[in-house]
Amino acid sequence: MESLSHLLSGFAAALSWYYLAYALAGCVLGTLIGVLPGLGPAAGTAILIPLTFNLDATGAIIMLSAIYYGAMYGGTITSVLINVPGEAASVVTCIDGHAMARQGRAGSALGIAAIGSFVGGVLATVALVVVAMPLATLALKFGPAEFFALMVAGLCLVVGLAGKNIVAALLMTVIGLLFAMIGLDPVRGAPRFTFGMEELFDGIGFVPVVMGLFGVAELLLAAEKRQARMIEAELKNWLPTGQEVRDCVGPIGRGTVVGFVLGLIPGVGAIVPTFMAYVIEKRVSKTPERFGKGAIEGVASAETANNAYANAAMVPLLALGIPSSPTIAVLMGAFIINGITPGPFLFQEQPALVWTVIASFFVGNALLLILNLPLVGLWAKLLKIPFSYMCVGVLIFCVIGAYGLKQSLFDVWVMLGFGIIGYLLRKLDFPIAPAILALILGPMMEKSLRTTLEISGGSFAIFLDRPVALALLAIPVIVIAFLLFKPRSLDKLRESDID
Amino acid sequence: MFIRRRTLLAASAATAIAPPALAQNYPRRAVQLVVAFPAGGSTDVGARILAGLAEKDFGQPITVVNKGGAGGQIGFTEIARARPDGYTLGFLNLPGMNTITLDPERKAVFTIDSFIPIVNQVLDPGFIWVKGDSPYKTLAELTDAAKKNPGKISACTTGILSDDHLAILMVQEATGAEFRIVHFDGGAQQLTGVLGGHVDVAFDNVGSVFKRVGTEIRGLAVTDVVRSKFLPQVPCTKELGLTTVISSSTRGVGAPKGTPADICKVVETAFLKAINSPEMKEKMDAVGLALKPMVGAEYAKYYTDLQAQAKKYTEWALKMR
Amino acid sequence: MRQGRLIATGAMLAFCLFALWQSLLLSLTDRLGPGPGFFPFWLALIGAALSVALLFTTFREAADPADAETRIMPHGAGGKRWLAIVALLAALTMVMEFTGFRIAMLAFNVALVVALGERRWWIIAVFAVLGSYGVYYVFTTWLDVLLPVGRIGF
Repeated sequence: MESLSHLLSGFAAALSWYYLAYALAGCVLGTLIGVLPGLGPAAGTAILIPLTFNLDATGAIIMLSAIYYGAMYGGTITSVLINVPGEAASVVTCIDGHAMARQGRAGSALGIAAIGSFVGGVLATVALVVVAMPLATLALKFGPAEFFALMVAGLCLVVGLAGKNIVAALLMTVIGLLFAMIGLDPVRGAPRFTFGMEELFDGIGFVPVVMGLFGVAELLLAAEKRQARMIEAELKNWLPTGQEVRDCVGPIGRGTVVGFVLGLIPGVGAIVPTFMAYVIEKRVSKTPERFGKGAIEGVASAETANNAYANAAMVPLLALGIPSSPTIAVLMGAFIINGITPGPFLFQEQPALVWTVIASFFVGNALLLILNLPLVGLWAKLLKIPFSYMCVGVLIFCVIGAYGLKQSLFDVWVMLGFGIIGYLLRKLDFPIAPAILALILGPMMEKSLRTTLEISGGSFAIFLDRPVALALLAIPVIVIAFLLFKPRSLDKLRESDID
Repeated sequence: MFIRRRTLLAASAATAIAPPALAQNYPRRAVQLVVAFPAGGSTDVGARILAGLAEKDFGQPITVVNKGGAGGQIGFTEIARARPDGYTLGFLNLPGMNTITLDPERKAVFTIDSFIPIVNQVLDPGFIWVKGDSPYKTLAELTDAAKKNPGKISACTTGILSDDHLAILMVQEATGAEFRIVHFDGGAQQLTGVLGGHVDVAFDNVGSVFKRVGTEIRGLAVTDVVRSKFLPQVPCTKELGLTTVISSSTRGVGAPKGTPADICKVVETAFLKAINSPEMKEKMDAVGLALKPMVGAEYAKYYTDLQAQAKKYTEWALKMR
Repeated sequence: MRQGRLIATGAMLAFCLFALWQSLLLSLTDRLGPGPGFFPFWLALIGAALSVALLFTTFREAADPADAETRIMPHGAGGKRWLAIVALLAALTMVMEFTGFRIAMLAFNVALVVALGERRWWIIAVFAVLGSYGVYYVFTTWLDVLLPVGRIGF
């Protein structure tokens, strides 16, 4: 197979000391960026672009890609340890990952995240090698109508996240959706619910909201309980136990599939596959009530899906020249500055380059694992820092994170406000996860419906013509019917509570 | 909002107290270049390259600050409100800025007079393209089909009230065609939309896709008075007889109103030198962005002329919604 | 707790009603179908209905004796810490752009670390310096993140 021989020569090049060093530097820098809450992989990658000006094209790409998926893992570290999502997609990891940390199982959480990320990344890259072009072209068929259906199906997952109190979960979802409507509406491009504040023109700012709801709220809760340390429980183990790893084989496998498939579709964003993998895991589990309280399967599936997604998102980028997310758009910009135009001709015109880069994905994923597994113990030790220091430190970074996004003080207020709201919601037992999912999916859903109608000229019949969209839309219908008419099998789900 | 008022008050108080910055002392510290679009996009790429090159002669670092959002409105507002002391410059995107000021619902706090255009960098002409295997081989074929089947041929833009949107209206006016207009959010979505077969034709800009023109993408026309040097095989609208269909996206450097003229001159000199340098040319060529340096009266005239053109088509677009 | 939940649900109901009103100010339909007010209107309606339903079920919940002991609002020594965090964060945000990041953070660091129980002067000093100037340096110089410089110029 021609690809195989290309890949092998790619490996030979990627494993040279020169490129290896860049991949390593990229992984380290990426992890650091991911750890800093709020800095975000997109901004972080953009900042590091100038570093690559002095490198040759291949080296630049290798380093930037390493930064990219390194940042994904860095986000995990803060999610688990201090409940602050390092970047948007890490939100899901906060749910079970931090719960595990509170039980002294931070080592297991971080460890399984590293392992899952590695497996997910490698498998996704393997799939990339085998089926990049044909899959990419197939993914193009996914138009606005299918996108809308996917978002709706995703929102119905909320039902899977709901615990005892479905009404409360649905209410939170609706409220999340309402918040998502703030900003420029997709119909007229005019401000909606912004009360004249331009800061709201782009919506309420997902990152500050999430940093507040998770990070600040966590600090407030801990402060009130007068905890001496951020996490009181002693660290039980540095790495996941053998049993834990065995338990996670299924979740990792499923997470890889979900992450990879969704990564092929341009524009999906990292949160959707992470949430979906998590919810699927919860449904499949024989003990769903553990989810939300420290189920390692939750962390494993979310993290694997996250990394599989990140690597799979390279497919539309390399094969079609279409960036899937703002971070990848930054990557693409960096590629272009360095003289490389991603797109279908990349494979034909510069095969050596492309295959070396693909080989470096494997290498990079392995490097991340090697880097991070031993460091897990070190990170977990951070939890021993007295609460007062931790609190001040985390708040400094959160403020910088919230402010630094758009140099906006408003965002810091948003973070503080939602911190208090998050605190109240946690104390009153309202589920936050559905609202977060709604906040992300809401705008995409409305916009894609609008675009679908623009394409069809206002006719909803377009959905009838598109089997994939119909199939996706059928999922929520089935789910709701299932819920309403089969209460017995839901008792187990009902007993579990997210958040 | 009390925060904004406070800042404005503080700003005006400070400007009153502080002595006007003299050009001999300028620049004394780092200067911010506010880009109203997110990092990584083509505006941002052009701005960063420019800032990097202009820094050398400027003598002080030029930091690019991305304040993206709301189609640029957030960033433009920021520039308009900044202290006119020369330490905050802005990257002006036209006609993006124009359409925002012309849409009453946007309630923009700035007008085009809130800025002083200093030096233009890029002029990226509009580019009409279809999928490689599309049945339309020329622009005429496309517009004929759109005339015969009004509202059935779909044309997409990269945003509501973008230069692409205005270009579609110009074509409709000049040819009598009637398209079904679809608005995407940026070039990536547009690519997916047309290459995936969901939309028939894309109204875009040369810089975004010029390298892909060939078998994958077929170019129908460039909406300019001359052919683009990056796409010599694609006809321009002027030669096709559509002399009113002239649309492009221009990006240049400006300052908030009130910035002293001698400071603007320093900025102009430094940036113009960077724009005319061979490295700039090389980097811009690589990304398909045509350089069109404009300064002084020429830029100012272009600026006001564009507003008049934008006004006409924006009002038409607003009526349609 | 039950009382707290009732209040919170009531607040959500109020929010939904407000959203309902606001969405009626926008057009519900458009030439292509849903207008800008369409989704918000229906969502607000569903939300209001759900809040009412939740109010009912919460009301009818058997009062849990353990509930009487948990208080929603922070109180006691822990409450003081809670208040310290919130008040200091608010104060920081209010003055940060005026005084500049470094000075504001310096005050914030000192105040918060003391409020949370630290008394050793040298630790307070370390936080004061590293947490303001140190952090500022790292972020603005190495990471290109712009932090407010303030009117005073610091």
